[in-house]
Amino acid sequence: MPPPLIGSSKSIEKIREFIDHIADTGLNVLITGESGVGKEVVAQSLYYKSQRKNKPFIKVNCAALPEGLLESELFGYERGAFTGAVQSKRGKFELAHQGVIFLDEIGDMPRPLQAKLLRVLQSGEFAPLGSEKEVTADAWVIASTNQNLGENVKKGLFREDLYYRLNIIKIYIPPLRNRPEDIPTLIDYFIEKYASQFDRNKISKPDADAMEKLMAYSWPGNVRELQSILQSSMVIGNWEEVVDDLSIKDKPDVNSAPDHKGLDKSLIVDTLFDLKNENSPGHASFSLKKIRKETMNIIDKEVISYVLNQTGWNRTKASKILQISYKTLLYKISDLDIKQQREL
Amino acid sequence: MDKPSKLLIVDDDEEIQSTLKDFLIKKGYEVFSASDGLEGLKLLETEEPGFDLVITDLVMPNISGVGLIAIIKKKFPGLPVIAITGWGEHPEALASEVQADQVLEKPFGLSELEKSLKKLLSSKFDI
Repeated sequence: MPPPLIGSSKSIEKIREFIDHIADTGLNVLITGESGVGKEVVAQSLYYKSQRKNKPFIKVNCAALPEGLLESELFGYERGAFTGAVQSKRGKFELAHQGVIFLDEIGDMPRPLQAKLLRVLQSGEFAPLGSEKEVTADAWVIASTNQNLGENVKKGLFREDLYYRLNIIKIYIPPLRNRPEDIPTLIDYFIEKYASQFDRNKISKPDADAMEKLMAYSWPGNVRELQSILQSSMVIGNWEEVVDDLSIKDKPDVNSAPDHKGLDKSLIVDTLFDLKNENSPGHASFSLKKIRKETMNIIDKEVISYVLNQTGWNRTKASKILQISYKTLLYKISDLDIKQQREL
Repeated sequence: MDKPSKLLIVDDDEEIQSTLKDFLIKKGYEVFSASDGLEGLKLLETEEPGFDLVITDLVMPNISGVGLIAIIKKKFPGLPVIAITGWGEHPEALASEVQADQVLEKPFGLSELEKSLKKLLSSKFDI
């Protein structure tokens, strides 16, 4: 059974739709996103939706093995290829023939191996270690990384030609903190999943207060962290303690990060008072029009900044969400002096 | 009067997209546009009657131009594709490998695009 891709957020729905469209193309896919967002789940969903689903799905973690070992793991070796190679061994590429090879943490693949991988992607051919004969394998390559491969290319850590070849289809999974609406759905799913392992009486859903805190937490470990927290809540049998732990962990973030959850009402009120003083009846005029304009600007700025941050400053996407033209958005960004916040 | 040729422009750069669209509409073509590969693919799958030619950028979110061309050549063989590529990007070799009919490097002149377009459309309708 494929692990389902859980979530009701727009981004997860879009990924689901995307998978349906591309699962049968056999084109190389690169899945990106922070650790724990569910890159392997997406890879498996692609596999199960494709015509290769009855063939092997082979996973290789490119960060887990040193270079020599990774090479023999991927491409196999002949008997006597190196000390200890008492018999030949088929590589993962060969084992994944007609199926999928999932190259996890591709950003950690050493450069010499990147050259060999590039050749496989170009021709489907490779030579196992110690062999002069080429082997052909038709494996669908799905790679994943939590690194910025484009940046790695600039730094010379990752081959540009390999990057373009892997990046034919790109799926980005946003971090959980950017899609808190998925948290209740994920909690329901995991509770159901672990129900058989734990005492049913101990399993309770978080109440509204706990859920609010869970949705406000930053989840640096993403879905994987949520999963382990759920497991501990089932052992402890009490959400309150678990949620309090999270709140303590998150304190520094909460204080330093600007609050984009909602409009800062007090700021608006303060500004209105300022305007009121400036335009007080004692003054020559009390311009409702001006107050309205200033207030609208504050709201516009807050809303636009929020949407831009949510879309990673993708102006095209933001203009669609805001239902204003691209040009209007650009004008507003400059007019309201909206600046991109650099991520830490 | 002949029916105008139906074109699809796929580019995530809104400005390029609208410039090309305005120009080609003025030249009498029926023009559709999409801002990424998936949106383009959906139009290709649903639009009736189908398109006569596709102009696509190469570096885009979700389905890259290279991916889109590969899918087009498999699902819609005979549909000509012009790939456009930005300065400093190097996926042109891939574009040729997946059989883009023409690769234009930015910046290109609109007249150059029109020339390629006319050539590809006339050879398409000659068959």
